[in-house]
Amino acid sequence: MQAFRDFWRRYRRKTSAVIGLVLLLFVFLVAFVGPWIVPGDPWDMATMPFLWPGTNAEFPLGSDTLGRDILTGIIHGSRVSLLIGFAATLAALGLGVTVGALAGYFRGWIDDVLMRITEIFQTVPTFLLAVVLVAIFKPSMTTIVLAISAVTWPSIARLVRAEFLSLREREFVQSCVVIGMGETRIIFRQILPNCLPPIIVMSSVMVASAILTESGLSFLGLGDPNLMSWGTMIGIGRDAMRTAWYMSALPGVAILITVLALNLVGEGLNDALNPRLKNH
Amino acid sequence: MTRFSLRISALALAASLALSGQAIAQGTPVRGGTLSMILNPEPPVLVTGVNSASPVAAVSPRMFEGLATYTPDFKMVPVLATSWDQSADGKTITFKLRPNVKWHDGKPFTSADVQFSFMDILKKVHSRGTATYLHLIAVETPDPLTAIFKLDEPSPYIMRALAGVESPIMPKHIYEGSDPLKNPANVKPIGTGPFKFKEWERGNYIMLERNPDYWDAGKPYLDAIIFRIIPDGSARAVALESGAVQYGTQYVVPLNDVARLAKLPNLNVTTAGYEYNTSVNYLEFNLRRPYLQDRRVRQAIAHTINTDFLVKNVWFGFATKATSPVTDKQKDFHTANVPQYPYDLKKAEQLLDEAGYKKGADGIRFKVTIDWSPSGEMFKQTAELLRQGLQRVGIQAEIRNSDSPTYLRRVWTDNDFDINIYSASNIADPVIGIQRFYWSKSIQKGVTYSNGSGYNNPEMDKILESAQIENDPAKRRKLYEDTQRLVMTDLPNMGLVYIQWFTIHDKKVKNLNTTGLGPMESFADVYIEK
Amino acid sequence: MTMATESVGAGAARRASRERLARYLARRFGQAAITLIAIVILNFVILHLAPGDAIDVLAGESGGAGPEYLAQMRKSYGLDQPIYVQMVQYLWNVAQLNFGFSFRNNVSVLELIMSRLPATLLLMIASILLSFTAGVLLGVFAARRVNTFADNAVSVLALLCYATPLFWFGLMAIVLFTVKLGWLPGNGMYTIAANFNWFEATIDVLRHLALPALSLALFHMAVYTRLMRASMLEIYGLDYIRTARAKGLSQRRIAFRHVLPNAILPMVTMLGLQVGALLGGAVLVETVFGWPGLGRLAFDAILQRDHNLLIGILLFSSALVIVANLITDLVYAMLDPRIEVA
Repeated sequence: MQAFRDFWRRYRRKTSAVIGLVLLLFVFLVAFVGPWIVPGDPWDMATMPFLWPGTNAEFPLGSDTLGRDILTGIIHGSRVSLLIGFAATLAALGLGVTVGALAGYFRGWIDDVLMRITEIFQTVPTFLLAVVLVAIFKPSMTTIVLAISAVTWPSIARLVRAEFLSLREREFVQSCVVIGMGETRIIFRQILPNCLPPIIVMSSVMVASAILTESGLSFLGLGDPNLMSWGTMIGIGRDAMRTAWYMSALPGVAILITVLALNLVGEGLNDALNPRLKNH
Repeated sequence: MTRFSLRISALALAASLALSGQAIAQGTPVRGGTLSMILNPEPPVLVTGVNSASPVAAVSPRMFEGLATYTPDFKMVPVLATSWDQSADGKTITFKLRPNVKWHDGKPFTSADVQFSFMDILKKVHSRGTATYLHLIAVETPDPLTAIFKLDEPSPYIMRALAGVESPIMPKHIYEGSDPLKNPANVKPIGTGPFKFKEWERGNYIMLERNPDYWDAGKPYLDAIIFRIIPDGSARAVALESGAVQYGTQYVVPLNDVARLAKLPNLNVTTAGYEYNTSVNYLEFNLRRPYLQDRRVRQAIAHTINTDFLVKNVWFGFATKATSPVTDKQKDFHTANVPQYPYDLKKAEQLLDEAGYKKGADGIRFKVTIDWSPSGEMFKQTAELLRQGLQRVGIQAEIRNSDSPTYLRRVWTDNDFDINIYSASNIADPVIGIQRFYWSKSIQKGVTYSNGSGYNNPEMDKILESAQIENDPAKRRKLYEDTQRLVMTDLPNMGLVYIQWFTIHDKKVKNLNTTGLGPMESFADVYIEK
Repeated sequence: MTMATESVGAGAARRASRERLARYLARRFGQAAITLIAIVILNFVILHLAPGDAIDVLAGESGGAGPEYLAQMRKSYGLDQPIYVQMVQYLWNVAQLNFGFSFRNNVSVLELIMSRLPATLLLMIASILLSFTAGVLLGVFAARRVNTFADNAVSVLALLCYATPLFWFGLMAIVLFTVKLGWLPGNGMYTIAANFNWFEATIDVLRHLALPALSLALFHMAVYTRLMRASMLEIYGLDYIRTARAKGLSQRRIAFRHVLPNAILPMVTMLGLQVGALLGGAVLVETVFGWPGLGRLAFDAILQRDHNLLIGILLFSSALVIVANLITDLVYAMLDPRIEVA
């Protein structure tokens, strides 16, 4: 409890971090409560198409090319974006932490092989690879999550490896080795908890970039066709850009706010969790 | 409200354009000028003889000509053939060829080229030619300017397939002895047409220049044609609007933007010139699926589609409600005197109840998937509309997005689909354009745009097979009316809308639609007013 | 600092360092080759797990084709061979710099890539220059006014750029600059058949380049701004700067002569990393702006299931990334003698 209070004291020192947290909580609130306040299927052709925002109180943000309510779309889209963002990050963490920990702890040929594989994934342009994976394995929630995690795990792996390399030389780890503690236990109980702060900081940024990647994929028509995501909405609006630019503009703002919030929170966490690093 | 009235006027516009769709020569032609056209997507090759895809067909007819072309009401007009004569039994057709025609490389055009084109290219490697010229057994060449077609069965539809875009005459001296699919001339063509290939900068543009030795002296009027490759719909609209490009066809701009462009002083929107190339947007059921085997279920699904909404909001008036599987543009064959399935959710629920598929506790009767042809946003939107309609009567539908190869394989090779939304051309004759969807012998795995539903009805086979070799126009019409009636009763597939293509062009560009081929004509007559 | 170390270096030391550099280069090239082969195999396996091949596309586009025709086409393109034969054949071809034939486009893959490469390079170089220059200037600007309103404004701007989806920014830029204001073209690379002289043609390309380059540069501009500011502030805190201040040198001179050169160093490594991200971003930006480059070619290749072409592009992009990383490593090593090229 005391630890948390210390953390919060450090976190709230930075105004931008607090703003980010408020924004992020707001996005979460929309995702959790929104669908109850604005019920209905975001795909329903609810009104006449090409309704401009502010012209009809029932549809405050207007309607798209087929008369679907944009507000409903943005609210339901928040669930899709957050879900994909967090799921992809979790999957990437699973893979990245495993690879990084193995490489950093065992070193030697294991490290060589794993790092060579990591390097391959880091060399191929990531978005291009994600596009290829989704296009080939058919766009769906699962393939999108897996594709995003497949291109983001290397950075986690490198981070965890670096932490492991330095931590395993520390005294507390060496003493564990001396008293004959099992390797699994050392890895999971001793070293891993000590690399959590940088992992947490990186995760928030990864969620943000996963959301951006998903929106890019959906924009290219590689989104899940049964889910109304923000990227999908931008793609729908694109054809009508000259007559109704609001269709693309509004969901873009939603992405911007969410990603901004996640980045601000990430910075705040960095300051609060790594007090020794002076942040600028 | 202003948005809404704009859309109403789009419908009115489309309606009025349909009326003005007449082909007449305009004004006095003048020499000179370059015509910039929009091309999308970029074609793989430039010769329809080896690849009949639509982007190829947008370029090829300026360089390659056929034996004839057609007026909007399908009368034959001489091109490389000056006259033709059909024997009474329909098994011999004699073509007299045009003298003094030269290939772009200066070699003379002769009956040997005609023989080679039909027997070695069209019959062998052309995707539709293999069917069209199935009964063509030989082309005799008694002299350089005479070609005699020998058939083992009458094939009246051949006389509708001779346009340059469908059956181009290709140079024997370039293609002989090579694999026609890999011939380098496919990307640097040599034809007889009014325009010669100049250069192709991939991803950017294709340029053709005036053929000074064209057989029709004085023509063409244009100095050059440039095809600009612009992959983005809004960007194409900008290009037309600014005058950077003067001509675009088919889905050239997002349909919701057409009304705005039509109001601009420099642009004209016309639906003329699409008499030959008519497409229908179909919905196809996979009859191998247990739920869909019941005719009542298919009829129920047909009742959930609001075609008026499709015409208005998806096609923006550039389509009309389909009343049968044959487009109403084919006046020789189309009939609306067939069973109809108007938008009626109550009727749909009633049919589903009758079929024994009651709603479960969750309000769902059963689940289906919808696949759509990835060739246009309209098909995706149609799928979305269908999904919402099905949901209302208790059928849960899932849309599947695929890239082109996956989609084609899923539907026509693996038959792994429930409902498929696509468009197909009726082409010039039902034997080529319609028969393929309903003949049991067209259930061919791997052959795209064939009988994908797996529809196998001996009665239908009998009608289609008699029509194939029927030479009497009235009897043929009767047989195809029966076909349409049976299709609309059994519903293996159904027409949703008849697509009305349109051309957007600069008002200074004249003589665009002197024949029924419009955008697929040679453009020898086209000129730009000074 | 840098000056001092260099003047001390004698001939022997220089020779030794040159040898080290040669060994280092040899090793990096070896690694790069292995990585490339692994990438080819990886891509080949992924692509062949997918159903549908190029012939399905050709058949579909031509609207109905007989099975004999399809079988003939498959045979004619070697698609009837087992996958491992196709892969071994491909690897062998790549070794001879033969990237295969794009049957969809009817030209060789290498030719296709080369014809699109200049457009993408132009776009990438422009956005690298733009992001680097703007990032450095904004970073220096902010660092010299640390914790003022101007500094905060730069930080907010950077954060916004960091969070904006680049394709969305591109679309909005088209709405504003092309549709509403009519200042800049929103599509293509140049005006075709315009009969420009070289000067007008250059201006024309630059005008077309402006929006796509800006869209692509935005994200990294934010990265460089933040990095530069941080780096400047760190160096401001070092002893020798304090000494310089004590000597009474002007603020401007300290900033540009003493802090900037050293602060720029860590940004060089970022340049190499940026290349991969830019190639990915190019898919989106080139699609939005109809820029005739590699990114759009890659997307078209995926939609058309043009295996050879897609593998070629991925391989080529990866090679580009490897080369870029190698160059930045070398530049870094040359700029900063403290780093050993070990």
